[in-house]
Amino acid sequence: MNLTELLDTTAARWPQKPALIEDAMVVSYAELVQRTQELAIKLQALPITTGGRIGLAFPNGVSYVALTFALWRVAAVVVPIPSECTEEEIADLAAAMQLEGILSQKSRPESTAVTADCFFGRLRPPTPPDNHGLNLAFIRFTSGTTSARKGVALAHETIRDRVLSANQALRIGSEDTVIWCLPMAHHFLVTLVVYLSVGATVVLARHVLAQPFLDATIRWRGTVLYAAPFHFAMLARDRSGAALPSVRLAVSTTCALPPEVAEDFYGRYQIPLVQGMGVIELGLVSLNTDDPQARWNSVGRPAGDFRVQIMDPDATGCGEVAVAGPGIFDAYVAPWIPREQVLRAGWFFTGDIGRIDADGFLFLLSRKTAVINLAGRKVFPEEIEAVLNRHPTVRESRVYGQPHPHLGEVVAAELVLEPPHASLEPVRQYCREQLAAYKIPMRFTLVSALPRTPVTGKIRRAAPVA
Amino acid sequence: MIAASEIETKLLDFLKREVFAADVAVTPETDLIAAGFDSMSLVRLLVFIETDYGFWIPESEITGDALQTVRTLAATFTRLLNAR
Repeated sequence: MNLTELLDTTAARWPQKPALIEDAMVVSYAELVQRTQELAIKLQALPITTGGRIGLAFPNGVSYVALTFALWRVAAVVVPIPSECTEEEIADLAAAMQLEGILSQKSRPESTAVTADCFFGRLRPPTPPDNHGLNLAFIRFTSGTTSARKGVALAHETIRDRVLSANQALRIGSEDTVIWCLPMAHHFLVTLVVYLSVGATVVLARHVLAQPFLDATIRWRGTVLYAAPFHFAMLARDRSGAALPSVRLAVSTTCALPPEVAEDFYGRYQIPLVQGMGVIELGLVSLNTDDPQARWNSVGRPAGDFRVQIMDPDATGCGEVAVAGPGIFDAYVAPWIPREQVLRAGWFFTGDIGRIDADGFLFLLSRKTAVINLAGRKVFPEEIEAVLNRHPTVRESRVYGQPHPHLGEVVAAELVLEPPHASLEPVRQYCREQLAAYKIPMRFTLVSALPRTPVTGKIRRAAPVA
Repeated sequence: MIAASEIETKLLDFLKREVFAADVAVTPETDLIAAGFDSMSLVRLLVFIETDYGFWIPESEITGDALQTVRTLAATFTRLLNAR
Protein backbone atom coordinates (compact mmCIF):
# COMPACT_ATOMS: atom_id res chain seq x y z
CA MET A 1 0.00 0.00 0.00
CA ASN A 2 1.21 3.53 -0.72
CA LEU A 3 -0.26 6.72 0.76
CA THR A 4 -0.34 8.37 -2.66
CA GLU A 5 -3.35 6.11 -3.37
CA LEU A 6 -5.34 8.20 -0.88
CA LEU A 7 -4.58 11.41 -2.79
CA ASP A 8 -5.11 9.79 -6.21
CA THR A 9 -8.52 8.44 -5.15
CA THR A 10 -9.62 11.88 -3.94
CA ALA A 11 -8.39 13.50 -7.14
CA ALA A 12 -10.29 10.97 -9.28
CA ARG A 13 -13.46 11.80 -7.39
CA TRP A 14 -13.11 15.60 -7.14
CA PRO A 15 -10.56 16.61 -9.81
CA GLN A 16 -11.54 20.29 -9.97
CA LYS A 17 -12.00 20.84 -6.23
CA PRO A 18 -9.37 23.11 -4.64
CA ALA A 19 -6.93 21.03 -2.60
CA LEU A 20 -4.55 23.76 -1.47
CA ILE A 21 -4.79 27.54 -1.45
CA GLU A 22 -1.65 29.60 -0.88
CA ASP A 23 -2.10 33.37 -1.12
CA ALA A 24 -3.91 33.86 -4.45
CA MET A 25 -2.83 30.47 -5.86
CA VAL A 26 -5.55 27.81 -5.93
CA VAL A 27 -4.33 24.27 -6.66
CA SER A 28 -7.00 21.71 -7.58
CA TYR A 29 -6.73 18.04 -6.67
CA ALA A 30 -6.03 17.15 -10.31
CA GLU A 31 -3.25 19.77 -10.44
CA LEU A 32 -1.76 18.59 -7.16
CA VAL A 33 -1.62 15.00 -8.39
CA GLN A 34 -0.08 16.12 -11.66
CA ARG A 35 2.54 18.09 -9.76
CA THR A 36 3.45 15.11 -7.60
CA GLN A 37 3.73 12.92 -10.73
CA GLU A 38 6.00 15.41 -12.51
CA LEU A 39 8.17 15.79 -9.41
CA ALA A 40 8.33 12.00 -9.03
CA ILE A 41 9.75 11.69 -12.56
CA LYS A 42 12.45 14.22 -11.64
CA LEU A 43 13.16 12.39 -8.37
CA GLN A 44 13.58 9.11 -10.26
CA ALA A 45 16.57 10.61 -12.02
CA LEU A 46 18.28 11.15 -8.64
CA PRO A 47 20.28 8.55 -6.71
CA ILE A 48 17.39 7.69 -4.37
CA THR A 49 16.95 4.01 -3.50
CA THR A 50 13.72 2.23 -2.56
CA GLY A 51 13.27 2.82 1.15
CA GLY A 52 16.03 5.46 1.10
CA ARG A 53 15.61 8.18 3.70
CA ILE A 54 15.41 11.70 2.29
CA GLY A 55 15.44 14.87 4.38
CA LEU A 56 12.86 17.49 3.39
CA ALA A 57 13.97 21.04 4.25
CA PHE A 58 11.13 23.18 2.94
CA PRO A 59 8.96 25.90 4.45
CA ASN A 60 5.15 25.57 4.54
CA GLY A 61 3.71 25.66 1.07
CA VAL A 62 2.24 23.75 -1.86
CA SER A 63 5.76 22.52 -2.70
CA TYR A 64 6.14 20.91 0.72
CA VAL A 65 2.95 18.88 0.20
CA ALA A 66 3.75 17.99 -3.42
CA LEU A 67 7.29 16.86 -2.58
CA THR A 68 6.11 14.66 0.29
CA PHE A 69 3.71 12.79 -2.00
CA ALA A 70 6.29 12.70 -4.81
CA LEU A 71 8.83 11.11 -2.46
CA TRP A 72 6.20 8.53 -1.51
CA ARG A 73 5.61 7.82 -5.20
CA VAL A 74 9.25 6.85 -5.61
CA ALA A 75 9.10 4.74 -2.40
CA ALA A 76 11.41 7.02 -0.45
CA VAL A 77 11.05 7.68 3.28
CA VAL A 78 10.30 11.32 4.15
CA VAL A 79 12.27 12.82 7.05
CA PRO A 80 11.14 16.42 7.74
CA ILE A 81 13.86 18.93 8.63
CA PRO A 82 12.31 21.88 10.50
CA SER A 83 13.30 25.21 8.96
CA GLU A 84 14.65 26.50 12.26
CA CYS A 85 17.40 23.83 12.41
CA THR A 86 20.98 25.11 12.41
CA GLU A 87 23.60 23.48 10.15
CA GLU A 88 24.94 21.58 13.19
CA GLU A 89 21.47 20.22 13.94
CA ILE A 90 20.92 19.21 10.30
CA ALA A 91 24.25 17.36 10.32
CA ASP A 92 23.25 15.50 13.52
CA LEU A 93 19.88 14.60 12.05
CA ALA A 94 21.35 13.44 8.73
CA ALA A 95 23.91 11.22 10.45
CA ALA A 96 21.51 9.73 13.02
CA MET A 97 18.80 9.04 10.42
CA GLN A 98 21.34 7.86 7.77
CA LEU A 99 19.89 10.20 5.14
CA GLU A 100 20.67 9.48 1.48
CA GLY A 101 20.04 13.07 0.56
CA ILE A 102 18.31 16.32 1.40
CA LEU A 103 15.74 18.13 -0.73
CA SER A 104 15.82 21.83 0.10
CA GLN A 105 14.35 25.06 -1.19
CA LYS A 106 17.71 26.79 -1.07
CA SER A 107 20.81 25.36 -2.70
CA ARG A 108 23.13 23.69 -0.21
CA PRO A 109 26.82 22.76 -0.51
CA GLU A 110 27.23 20.39 -3.48
CA SER A 111 23.51 20.27 -4.20
CA THR A 112 22.06 20.08 -7.71
CA ALA A 113 18.87 21.71 -8.99
CA VAL A 114 15.79 19.47 -9.33
CA THR A 115 13.50 22.40 -10.21
CA ALA A 116 13.98 26.17 -10.02
CA ASP A 117 13.25 26.13 -6.28
CA CYS A 118 14.20 22.61 -5.25
CA PHE A 119 17.72 21.30 -4.76
CA PHE A 120 19.04 17.82 -4.00
CA GLY A 121 22.13 17.34 -1.89
CA ARG A 122 23.44 13.79 -1.97
CA LEU A 123 24.74 12.28 1.25
CA ARG A 124 26.54 9.01 1.66
CA PRO A 125 25.81 7.38 5.03
CA PRO A 126 28.78 5.21 6.11
CA THR A 127 26.42 2.26 6.54
CA PRO A 128 23.23 1.95 4.47
CA PRO A 129 20.06 2.24 6.57
CA ASP A 130 18.10 -0.90 7.39
CA ASN A 131 14.30 -0.51 7.43
CA HIS A 132 13.91 -4.09 8.71
CA GLY A 133 11.57 -5.09 5.91
CA LEU A 134 9.00 -2.38 6.73
CA ASN A 135 7.27 -0.34 4.02
CA LEU A 136 8.35 2.91 5.69
CA ALA A 137 6.87 6.26 4.65
CA PHE A 138 7.99 8.67 7.31
CA ILE A 139 10.49 9.23 10.08
CA ARG A 140 10.05 12.03 12.60
CA PHE A 141 13.41 12.94 14.07
CA THR A 142 13.27 13.76 17.75
CA SER A 143 16.33 15.19 19.39
CA GLY A 144 16.40 14.98 23.17
CA THR A 145 19.33 13.60 25.11
CA THR A 146 22.24 11.75 23.55
CA SER A 147 21.00 8.50 25.09
CA ALA A 148 17.39 9.04 23.99
CA ARG A 149 15.74 7.02 21.26
CA LYS A 150 15.98 9.13 18.13
CA GLY A 151 13.49 9.02 15.30
CA VAL A 152 9.98 7.56 15.14
CA ALA A 153 9.37 5.41 12.04
CA LEU A 154 5.95 4.93 10.46
CA ALA A 155 4.98 2.61 7.60
CA HIS A 156 2.48 3.53 4.89
CA GLU A 157 -0.06 1.08 6.36
CA THR A 158 0.39 2.54 9.85
CA ILE A 159 -0.28 6.07 8.62
CA ARG A 160 -3.33 4.91 6.66
CA ASP A 161 -4.75 3.38 9.87
CA ARG A 162 -4.04 6.67 11.68
CA VAL A 163 -5.72 8.72 9.00
CA LEU A 164 -8.90 6.62 9.18
CA SER A 165 -8.86 6.66 12.95
CA ALA A 166 -8.13 10.40 13.25
CA ASN A 167 -11.07 11.23 11.06
CA GLN A 168 -13.41 9.32 13.33
CA ALA A 169 -12.60 12.13 15.77
CA LEU A 170 -12.25 15.08 13.37
CA ARG A 171 -15.13 14.08 11.04
CA ILE A 172 -13.76 16.21 8.22
CA GLY A 173 -15.38 15.87 4.82
CA SER A 174 -15.13 17.24 1.30
CA GLU A 175 -17.29 20.24 2.26
CA ASP A 176 -14.70 21.43 4.81
CA THR A 177 -12.14 24.18 4.39
CA VAL A 178 -9.29 23.97 6.88
CA ILE A 179 -7.28 27.07 7.78
CA TRP A 180 -3.70 25.95 8.31
CA CYS A 181 -0.86 27.79 10.05
CA LEU A 182 1.25 25.18 11.85
CA PRO A 183 4.73 24.20 10.62
CA MET A 184 4.31 21.22 8.24
CA ALA A 185 7.65 19.82 9.38
CA HIS A 186 6.05 19.23 12.79
CA HIS A 187 2.45 18.46 11.72
CA PHE A 188 1.49 16.53 8.63
CA LEU A 189 0.19 13.00 8.97
CA VAL A 190 -2.99 13.04 11.05
CA THR A 191 -3.72 16.53 9.81
CA LEU A 192 -2.84 17.32 6.18
CA VAL A 193 -2.94 13.72 4.97
CA VAL A 194 -6.37 13.34 6.58
CA TYR A 195 -7.73 16.51 4.95
CA LEU A 196 -6.39 15.58 1.51
CA SER A 197 -7.69 12.02 1.73
CA VAL A 198 -11.29 13.20 2.28
CA GLY A 199 -11.32 15.96 -0.34
CA ALA A 200 -11.24 18.97 1.99
CA THR A 201 -9.65 22.29 0.98
CA VAL A 202 -6.62 23.47 2.95
CA VAL A 203 -5.85 27.19 3.07
CA LEU A 204 -2.24 27.95 3.99
CA ALA A 205 -2.35 31.09 6.13
CA ARG A 206 0.72 33.07 7.06
CA HIS A 207 0.95 32.94 10.80
CA VAL A 208 2.95 35.95 11.94
CA LEU A 209 -0.17 37.91 12.79
CA ALA A 210 -3.86 37.55 13.60
CA GLN A 211 -5.06 39.69 10.70
CA PRO A 212 -3.97 37.48 7.75
CA PHE A 213 -5.35 34.45 9.55
CA LEU A 214 -8.73 36.14 10.04
CA ASP A 215 -8.74 37.46 6.46
CA ALA A 216 -8.03 33.97 5.08
CA THR A 217 -10.76 32.41 7.23
CA ILE A 218 -13.34 34.95 6.12
CA ARG A 219 -12.31 35.05 2.46
CA TRP A 220 -12.28 31.26 1.99
CA ARG A 221 -15.11 30.54 4.47
CA GLY A 222 -12.97 28.33 6.67
CA THR A 223 -14.89 25.67 8.58
CA VAL A 224 -12.02 24.23 10.61
CA LEU A 225 -9.23 26.07 12.44
CA TYR A 226 -6.26 23.98 13.51
CA ALA A 227 -3.70 25.96 15.48
CA ALA A 228 -1.74 26.33 18.71
CA PRO A 229 -2.93 28.22 21.82
CA PHE A 230 -0.47 30.96 20.84
CA HIS A 231 -2.43 31.59 17.64
CA PHE A 232 -5.81 31.49 19.37
CA ALA A 233 -4.53 33.98 21.96
CA MET A 234 -3.60 36.34 19.14
CA LEU A 235 -6.98 35.88 17.48
CA ALA A 236 -8.77 36.42 20.80
CA ARG A 237 -7.12 39.82 21.17
CA ASP A 238 -8.15 41.00 17.72
CA ARG A 239 -10.31 44.11 17.95
CA SER A 240 -11.45 44.39 14.33
CA GLY A 241 -14.87 43.03 15.29
CA ALA A 242 -14.74 40.49 12.44
CA ALA A 243 -16.89 37.40 13.10
CA LEU A 244 -16.18 33.85 11.97
CA PRO A 245 -19.65 32.39 11.29
CA SER A 246 -18.33 29.71 8.90
CA VAL A 247 -16.16 28.01 11.54
CA ARG A 248 -17.66 24.81 12.98
CA LEU A 249 -14.57 23.37 14.66
CA ALA A 250 -11.55 25.08 16.22
CA VAL A 251 -8.88 22.66 17.43
CA SER A 252 -6.22 23.83 19.84
CA THR A 253 -3.19 21.60 19.60
CA THR A 254 0.54 21.29 20.41
CA CYS A 255 0.34 22.24 24.10
CA ALA A 256 -2.11 22.65 26.98
CA LEU A 257 -4.67 25.37 26.42
CA PRO A 258 -4.40 28.11 29.08
CA PRO A 259 -7.86 28.77 30.63
CA GLU A 260 -7.77 32.50 29.83
CA VAL A 261 -7.15 31.77 26.15
CA ALA A 262 -10.14 29.38 26.00
CA GLU A 263 -12.29 31.98 27.77
CA ASP A 264 -11.11 34.98 25.73
CA PHE A 265 -11.45 33.17 22.41
CA TYR A 266 -14.97 32.03 23.25
CA GLY A 267 -15.84 35.54 24.45
CA ARG A 268 -14.57 37.06 21.21
CA TYR A 269 -16.00 34.57 18.65
CA GLN A 270 -18.50 32.37 20.55
CA ILE A 271 -16.58 29.33 19.30
CA PRO A 272 -15.43 26.82 21.94
CA LEU A 273 -11.84 25.64 21.50
CA VAL A 274 -11.49 21.88 21.26
CA GLN A 275 -8.42 20.12 22.63
CA GLY A 276 -7.11 16.75 21.61
CA MET A 277 -4.32 14.37 22.46
CA GLY A 278 -1.82 13.92 19.65
CA VAL A 279 1.36 11.92 20.15
CA ILE A 280 3.88 11.16 17.38
CA GLU A 281 4.07 7.51 18.44
CA LEU A 282 0.25 7.18 18.37
CA GLY A 283 -1.48 9.70 16.12
CA LEU A 284 -4.64 11.51 17.23
CA VAL A 285 -5.86 9.58 20.24
CA SER A 286 -8.77 11.78 21.27
CA LEU A 287 -10.53 15.04 20.51
CA ASN A 288 -13.00 16.74 22.82
CA THR A 289 -15.81 17.46 20.38
CA ASP A 290 -18.39 16.04 22.82
CA ASP A 291 -18.18 18.65 25.56
CA PRO A 292 -15.71 21.43 24.75
CA GLN A 293 -17.51 24.03 26.85
CA ALA A 294 -18.12 22.51 30.28
CA ARG A 295 -15.03 20.31 30.04
CA TRP A 296 -12.84 22.75 28.08
CA ASN A 297 -9.66 21.43 29.72
CA SER A 298 -10.29 17.80 28.74
CA VAL A 299 -8.71 16.23 25.66
CA GLY A 300 -11.93 14.24 25.20
CA ARG A 301 -12.87 10.60 24.98
CA PRO A 302 -10.77 8.09 23.04
CA ALA A 303 -11.52 8.31 19.31
CA GLY A 304 -12.51 5.31 17.19
CA ASP A 305 -10.74 2.14 18.25
CA PHE A 306 -8.34 3.77 20.70
CA ARG A 307 -8.40 2.63 24.32
CA VAL A 308 -6.96 4.72 27.14
CA GLN A 309 -6.11 3.54 30.63
CA ILE A 310 -4.61 5.19 33.72
CA MET A 311 -1.80 2.97 35.00
CA ASP A 312 -1.23 2.62 38.77
CA PRO A 313 -3.63 5.43 39.68
CA ASP A 314 -3.10 7.16 43.02
CA ALA A 315 -5.90 7.87 45.54
CA THR A 316 -7.22 10.70 43.34
CA GLY A 317 -7.27 8.55 40.20
CA CYS A 318 -4.19 10.14 38.64
CA GLY A 319 -1.51 8.06 36.98
CA GLU A 320 0.41 7.54 33.76
CA VAL A 321 -1.74 7.55 30.63
CA ALA A 322 -1.36 4.39 28.53
CA VAL A 323 -2.92 3.95 25.08
CA ALA A 324 -3.70 0.97 22.85
CA GLY A 325 -5.19 1.15 19.38
CA PRO A 326 -4.65 1.43 15.63
CA GLY A 327 -1.69 3.06 13.87
CA ILE A 328 0.84 2.84 16.70
CA PHE A 329 4.35 3.68 15.42
CA ASP A 330 6.46 0.90 13.89
CA ALA A 331 9.84 1.47 15.52
CA TYR A 332 12.30 3.88 17.05
CA VAL A 333 15.11 4.38 14.57
CA ALA A 334 18.39 5.07 16.37
CA PRO A 335 18.84 2.67 17.97
CA TRP A 336 16.30 0.50 16.14
CA ILE A 337 13.67 -0.68 18.64
CA PRO A 338 10.57 -2.31 17.15
CA ARG A 339 7.15 -1.41 18.51
CA GLU A 340 6.72 -4.85 20.10
CA GLN A 341 9.66 -4.17 22.41
CA VAL A 342 8.30 -0.78 23.44
CA LEU A 343 4.67 -1.70 24.15
CA ARG A 344 3.88 -3.33 27.45
CA ALA A 345 1.16 -5.97 26.94
CA GLY A 346 -0.03 -3.95 23.94
CA TRP A 347 -0.06 -0.58 25.77
CA PHE A 348 2.06 2.44 24.95
CA PHE A 349 3.03 4.41 28.06
CA THR A 350 2.86 8.07 27.07
CA GLY A 351 4.76 9.71 29.92
CA ASP A 352 1.77 11.98 30.50
CA ILE A 353 0.07 12.03 33.88
CA GLY A 354 -3.70 12.17 33.67
CA ARG A 355 -7.07 11.06 34.95
CA ILE A 356 -10.35 9.92 33.40
CA ASP A 357 -13.67 11.22 34.77
CA ALA A 358 -16.88 9.23 35.30
CA ASP A 359 -18.03 9.96 31.73
CA GLY A 360 -14.81 8.78 30.17
CA PHE A 361 -13.24 12.19 29.44
CA LEU A 362 -9.45 12.24 29.67
CA PHE A 363 -7.66 15.09 31.44
CA LEU A 364 -3.89 15.54 31.08
CA LEU A 365 -2.19 17.02 34.12
CA SER A 366 1.55 17.02 33.53
CA ARG A 367 4.46 15.32 31.88
CA LYS A 368 6.68 12.80 33.58
CA THR A 369 9.54 14.32 31.60
CA ALA A 370 10.81 17.89 31.82
CA VAL A 371 10.16 18.80 28.19
CA ILE A 372 9.51 22.54 27.71
CA ASN A 373 6.71 23.75 25.46
CA LEU A 374 7.32 27.15 23.87
CA ALA A 375 4.23 28.17 21.88
CA GLY A 376 3.86 24.58 20.73
CA ARG A 377 7.51 23.79 20.02
CA LYS A 378 9.09 21.14 22.19
CA VAL A 379 12.42 21.82 23.79
CA PHE A 380 14.40 19.21 25.70
CA PRO A 381 16.32 20.75 28.64
CA GLU A 382 19.05 18.11 28.43
CA GLU A 383 19.85 19.08 24.83
CA ILE A 384 20.25 22.77 25.72
CA GLU A 385 22.28 21.96 28.82
CA ALA A 386 24.62 19.79 26.76
CA VAL A 387 25.33 22.77 24.48
CA LEU A 388 25.74 25.23 27.38
CA ASN A 389 28.06 22.87 29.23
CA ARG A 390 30.37 22.65 26.22
CA HIS A 391 31.12 26.38 26.49
CA PRO A 392 34.46 26.92 28.29
CA THR A 393 33.11 29.44 30.83
CA VAL A 394 30.05 27.38 31.83
CA ARG A 395 30.77 25.11 34.78
CA GLU A 396 27.25 23.76 34.99
CA SER A 397 23.75 24.64 33.86
CA ARG A 398 20.11 23.88 34.42
CA VAL A 399 17.46 24.59 31.79
CA TYR A 400 13.76 24.73 32.57
CA GLY A 401 10.46 26.04 31.29
CA GLN A 402 9.36 29.25 32.96
CA PRO A 403 5.57 29.65 32.83
CA HIS A 404 4.54 32.53 30.59
CA PRO A 405 0.96 33.81 30.34
CA HIS A 406 1.05 34.25 26.56
CA LEU A 407 3.43 31.58 25.36
CA GLY A 408 2.90 28.59 27.66
CA GLU A 409 6.51 28.49 28.71
CA VAL A 410 9.75 30.22 27.81
CA VAL A 411 13.14 28.57 27.94
CA ALA A 412 15.16 29.79 30.92
CA ALA A 413 18.63 28.78 32.08
CA GLU A 414 20.53 28.98 35.31
CA LEU A 415 24.29 29.05 34.87
CA VAL A 416 27.28 28.66 37.11
CA LEU A 417 30.14 30.46 35.34
CA GLU A 418 33.85 29.94 35.80
CA PRO A 419 35.19 32.51 36.60
CA PRO A 420 31.96 33.71 38.26
CA HIS A 421 32.13 37.17 36.71
CA ALA A 422 32.79 35.98 33.14
CA SER A 423 30.74 37.69 30.44
CA LEU A 424 27.49 36.06 29.40
CA GLU A 425 27.68 37.40 25.84
CA PRO A 426 29.99 34.69 24.42
CA VAL A 427 27.63 32.06 25.87
CA ARG A 428 24.64 33.63 24.13
CA GLN A 429 26.62 33.83 20.90
CA TYR A 430 27.60 30.17 21.19
CA CYS A 431 23.92 29.21 21.68
CA ARG A 432 23.04 31.09 18.48
CA GLU A 433 25.61 29.08 16.54
CA GLN A 434 24.58 25.73 17.96
CA LEU A 435 20.82 25.90 18.53
CA ALA A 436 17.66 26.65 16.58
CA ALA A 437 16.29 30.06 17.59
CA TYR A 438 13.38 28.75 19.66
CA LYS A 439 15.68 26.59 21.77
CA ILE A 440 17.98 29.43 22.87
CA PRO A 441 17.22 30.39 26.46
CA MET A 442 15.43 33.73 26.60
CA ARG A 443 16.28 34.28 30.23
CA PHE A 444 19.63 33.60 31.87
CA THR A 445 20.19 33.68 35.62
CA LEU A 446 23.69 33.50 37.05
CA VAL A 447 23.87 31.46 40.26
CA SER A 448 26.71 30.30 42.48
CA ALA A 449 25.51 26.68 42.62
CA LEU A 450 22.65 24.50 41.37
CA PRO A 451 20.34 22.51 43.64
CA ARG A 452 21.19 18.82 43.81
CA THR A 453 19.25 15.78 44.90
CA PRO A 454 20.40 14.69 48.37
CA VAL A 455 21.16 11.03 47.60
CA THR A 456 22.54 10.86 44.06
CA GLY A 457 23.98 14.38 43.89
CA LYS A 458 22.41 14.90 40.46
CA ILE A 459 21.21 18.33 39.44
CA ARG A 460 17.60 18.51 40.50
CA ARG A 461 15.33 18.56 37.46
CA ALA A 462 12.26 20.20 39.03
CA ALA A 463 11.47 23.57 37.53
CA PRO A 464 11.80 26.59 39.83
CA VAL A 465 8.49 28.39 40.32
CA ALA A 466 8.39 31.70 38.49
CA MET B 1 8.73 59.14 28.41
CA ILE B 2 10.75 56.68 26.40
CA ALA B 3 12.19 58.10 23.18
CA ALA B 4 11.54 56.30 19.90
CA SER B 5 15.26 56.55 19.12
CA GLU B 6 16.08 54.56 22.28
CA ILE B 7 13.70 51.75 21.26
CA GLU B 8 14.96 51.82 17.68
CA THR B 9 18.56 51.38 18.82
CA LYS B 10 17.52 48.58 21.15
CA LEU B 11 15.57 46.79 18.42
CA LEU B 12 18.41 47.11 15.93
CA ASP B 13 20.84 45.73 18.47
CA PHE B 14 18.52 42.84 19.36
CA LEU B 15 17.72 41.95 15.74
CA LYS B 16 21.41 41.96 14.77
CA ARG B 17 22.39 39.94 17.80
CA GLU B 18 19.53 37.47 18.11
CA VAL B 19 17.40 37.25 14.99
CA PHE B 20 19.18 37.80 11.69
CA ALA B 21 22.20 36.02 10.29
CA ALA B 22 25.51 37.87 10.46
CA ASP B 23 25.48 38.59 6.71
CA VAL B 24 22.12 40.42 6.83
CA ALA B 25 22.58 44.19 7.02
CA VAL B 26 19.95 45.57 9.39
CA THR B 27 19.08 49.26 9.21
CA PRO B 28 16.06 51.24 10.45
CA GLU B 29 14.61 50.88 6.92
CA THR B 30 15.10 47.11 6.61
CA ASP B 31 11.92 45.35 5.40
CA LEU B 32 11.49 42.93 8.29
CA ILE B 33 9.37 40.22 6.67
CA ALA B 34 11.51 40.21 3.51
CA ALA B 35 14.61 39.82 5.70
CA GLY B 36 13.16 36.67 7.28
CA PHE B 37 11.43 37.97 10.41
CA ASP B 38 8.88 35.28 11.38
CA SER B 39 6.52 34.39 14.21
CA MET B 40 9.34 32.95 16.34
CA SER B 41 11.33 36.18 15.86
CA LEU B 42 8.29 38.11 17.06
CA VAL B 43 7.95 35.87 20.11
CA ARG B 44 11.61 36.40 21.03
CA LEU B 45 11.33 40.14 20.49
CA LEU B 46 8.22 40.44 22.67
CA VAL B 47 9.89 38.48 25.46
CA PHE B 48 12.96 40.72 25.15
CA ILE B 49 10.82 43.87 25.52
CA GLU B 50 8.88 42.29 28.38
CA THR B 51 12.12 41.44 30.19
CA ASP B 52 13.53 44.94 29.77
CA TYR B 53 10.39 47.02 30.37
CA GLY B 54 8.16 44.66 32.38
CA PHE B 55 5.37 45.01 29.83
CA TRP B 56 3.92 42.48 27.39
CA ILE B 57 3.08 44.16 24.10
CA PRO B 58 -0.23 42.65 22.95
CA GLU B 59 0.23 40.73 19.70
CA SER B 60 -2.97 42.33 18.42
CA GLU B 61 -1.10 45.66 18.28
CA ILE B 62 1.49 44.25 15.91
CA THR B 63 -0.25 44.95 12.62
CA GLY B 64 1.18 44.59 9.13
CA ASP B 65 1.85 48.34 9.12
CA ALA B 66 3.81 48.11 12.35
CA LEU B 67 5.92 45.26 11.00
CA GLN B 68 7.10 47.02 7.85
CA THR B 69 10.48 48.22 9.06
CA VAL B 70 12.52 48.47 12.23
CA ARG B 71 11.50 52.14 12.40
CA THR B 72 7.74 51.52 12.18
CA LEU B 73 8.02 48.71 14.73
CA ALA B 74 10.00 50.94 17.09
CA ALA B 75 7.37 53.67 16.73
CA THR B 76 4.60 51.21 17.64
CA PHE B 77 6.51 49.85 20.63
CA THR B 78 7.33 53.37 21.86
CA ARG B 79 3.69 54.45 21.65
CA LEU B 80 2.50 51.38 23.59
CA LEU B 81 5.24 51.56 26.21
CA ASN B 82 4.52 55.24 26.86
CA ALA B 83 0.77 54.62 27.05
CA ARG B 84 0.92 51.77 29.55
